[in-house]
Amino acid sequence: MKDQMALSTQQSNDDDQYLLLAKVDNVRHVSTILKAIHFKEIATLFASPMGLKVTVEDAKCVQANAFIQETIFHHYIIKEEQVTFKINLTVLLECLTIFGSSAVPGVSTSLKMCYAGYGCPLLLILEEDGVLTDCSIKTLEPDEVLDFNFLSTNVINKIIMKSECLKEAFSELDMTSEVLQILLSPDPPYFRLSTFGNSGSTHSDFPKDSDMVESFQCTQTQTNRYKISLLKPSVKALALSARVSIRIDNRGFLSLQYMIKNEDGQVCFVEYYCSPDEDVDEADH
Amino acid sequence: MNCVIPGVNIKVFGRAVQSLSKIGEELYVEPLEHGLALRTVNSSRSAYACFLFAPSFFQHYDDGSGQTTNGSGKEEGEEEAIRCKITMKSCLTVFKSVYTLEKTVERCKIKLDMTESRLVFQLHCRHGIVKTHNLAFIECETLQAVFSKDMCPNSLTASARLLCDAVQNFQNNQEEVTLIVKPDKILLKNYVEDEPDPTKVMHTELRLEPEEFDNIQVGVDSEITFCLKEMRAILAFSEATNLPVSLKFETAGRPIVFSIDSDSAFEANFVLATLADTMTQQGGSSNVPTESKTSQKRKHTSNSRTSVKAINKSQTSRKETESMNIGRANETEEQSVRINEHEDSFLSRRKPNNKSPDHEGRSNRLNAALSELMNDDMDDIMLDQETREEISKQPIPPELGTKSVSGRDRITTRSPVPSTSRENISPLIPLQSSKPQIFNITTEDVEMKENEEEEEELVPGTPPSKRFRSMFFGSQSSTITQSSQRTVTKELSVLAEDTDDEG
Repeated sequence: MKDQMALSTQQSNDDDQYLLLAKVDNVRHVSTILKAIHFKEIATLFASPMGLKVTVEDAKCVQANAFIQETIFHHYIIKEEQVTFKINLTVLLECLTIFGSSAVPGVSTSLKMCYAGYGCPLLLILEEDGVLTDCSIKTLEPDEVLDFNFLSTNVINKIIMKSECLKEAFSELDMTSEVLQILLSPDPPYFRLSTFGNSGSTHSDFPKDSDMVESFQCTQTQTNRYKISLLKPSVKALALSARVSIRIDNRGFLSLQYMIKNEDGQVCFVEYYCSPDEDVDEADH
Repeated sequence: MNCVIPGVNIKVFGRAVQSLSKIGEELYVEPLEHGLALRTVNSSRSAYACFLFAPSFFQHYDDGSGQTTNGSGKEEGEEEAIRCKITMKSCLTVFKSVYTLEKTVERCKIKLDMTESRLVFQLHCRHGIVKTHNLAFIECETLQAVFSKDMCPNSLTASARLLCDAVQNFQNNQEEVTLIVKPDKILLKNYVEDEPDPTKVMHTELRLEPEEFDNIQVGVDSEITFCLKEMRAILAFSEATNLPVSLKFETAGRPIVFSIDSDSAFEANFVLATLADTMTQQGGSSNVPTESKTSQKRKHTSNSRTSVKAINKSQTSRKETESMNIGRANETEEQSVRINEHEDSFLSRRKPNNKSPDHEGRSNRLNAALSELMNDDMDDIMLDQETREEISKQPIPPELGTKSVSGRDRITTRSPVPSTSRENISPLIPLQSSKPQIFNITTEDVEMKENEEEEEELVPGTPPSKRFRSMFFGSQSSTITQSSQRTVTKELSVLAEDTDDEG
């Protein structure tokens, strides 16, 4: 009976049985954002009336969240305050890009996504030019995700900048270095990314008055190191983004928020949290 | 050293580094009074590349020699200028993307931070972004190749486009190409190694129209074979900079020099060893049979040290190849011997130079080197020797039959434990051994060589199975061609690569 429903392209009363029902005209609006956090296979999906939040974690040290707010979907119904399940992100992305992932002008794949509740698979119906694909992906029992307890009130230093120049800096990171050191300071060199690799050290300095920097709110000098292997996956989000906000709190925890604009000019956010490798700056609290 | 590359030139510099990275794994940086030299040599030492960026290439150039005012102090100052080498990889991270370099970098500062012992590349980019790369370096001696491009009878100049189009026709895995030059035609074809069945290999041959070249000068007909990979590296640079390439060469076995010259801003020289081809050299070598003997004797007397080493090597290789038949084992021996000889020629050229501060000795040696360069007999002798050895292992044309038989006899009748007789059949005679002037190595020099040689180990996997005459590196001659006479004396102290990292 479910299968019959899935094949139907019409709005059906059977849709009522789903806890979550979301439709989008262009599946790329969803798939691109999810790709930005695709550095681990398993993701946890949280659906709420606000939209979808997809979380990926690694090594209990880094967490990436992709937010696809309700307005991205042209049809979004949720019957509960929150629906949570784990899913294989690799498989989900494969299904979402089953008609190809590159943008073809004038052609877009539409998506209907349904979830009936605990223990049920996530159903995807993709359609492009009258061709239908019907996917059913098993969902998994949700685990608890990390709570970084990152409060904006505890933020000591914050920069908002255009992603362009950071993209270059991140793509050139010396991967022989174990850590990426981030220095934020109200004094020169203001914002410095450093690596310490086999062949020597590299520093990239960004002055606060650069036209790449849109907001510079640094109150005290902070130097923290983060595992480069944990931060490197954020390059995917960085590459898509237009702006990035870099925040470090009093514990040295790092928050990177990427603002990503899709083809229709809608804005989504991807967020990375990373715990520091070691506290080299004892001055904080 | 402290210099600043302006934004307009950063791309050229980056391309130069990228081009060098396709040849060697270490980058030798040497600030000279007349410019910054970037050099590299490949692992088998059959290719050497040098870029010299003149002071006019830079916005600001200071070679770091300090006081350059008083006449005598100058030399001392230059001695103090640090020469160093860095790993190619680390330098490549600085100049990874030419595209972003061109787009974003406004100027690049290069300086030596002696307190931190780092070579610093500082890229000042748009939007006030500064990227600083502090690269670890090793102090070293000058890397120098012995080559002469002014005395080459053959010279071709062509646009990069023409050569790139020609080279594109070869497969990517093609290792060597052969360039055939005759007064009426220029041919480029792929070089096919001794294949069991030559008919199963694809042969590509291109005939290049002489009219398409900017300049052609053919003094002697020649057929030379060299590595395509290095040639591609050169062409990539010349294509990017849109500068013509000139090729200077003689005959097989003598190095070919590719040069790119940009009006006084920089010049590039790539020296590639060419294959000492058995067939083409056969004729040339026949006219010096008597000298051949004498030089062989000289080798016998002077290079006993080499021979001892060779024996050691051959013994070890014999152990390894016990299970093989004798003929095969002999081959291995010969290879290892040849490798030793290569190292020898490096060392012996380097050491005496290193040890002689007096001008008298230098100029003597310079003369020696000059006459050596002018005099091709040596090589022919070597080739003759080499050829015979080579022939013995190959099916050969009938007229060579007698020689080959004797060669084979020699090999097969050799006692399994080679004693002193081993030195008689060393396949290569180092260049310098026939030149009395260069013999003036004192005994302590020789001892030093020996010590050094013991430290040196064979790099596994790099036997020159092909007979590239790799050893044109040593000291003098390039200075003659490259720059003023003044630099000649200076660079005489020049050496091949430090031995420390050879192991």
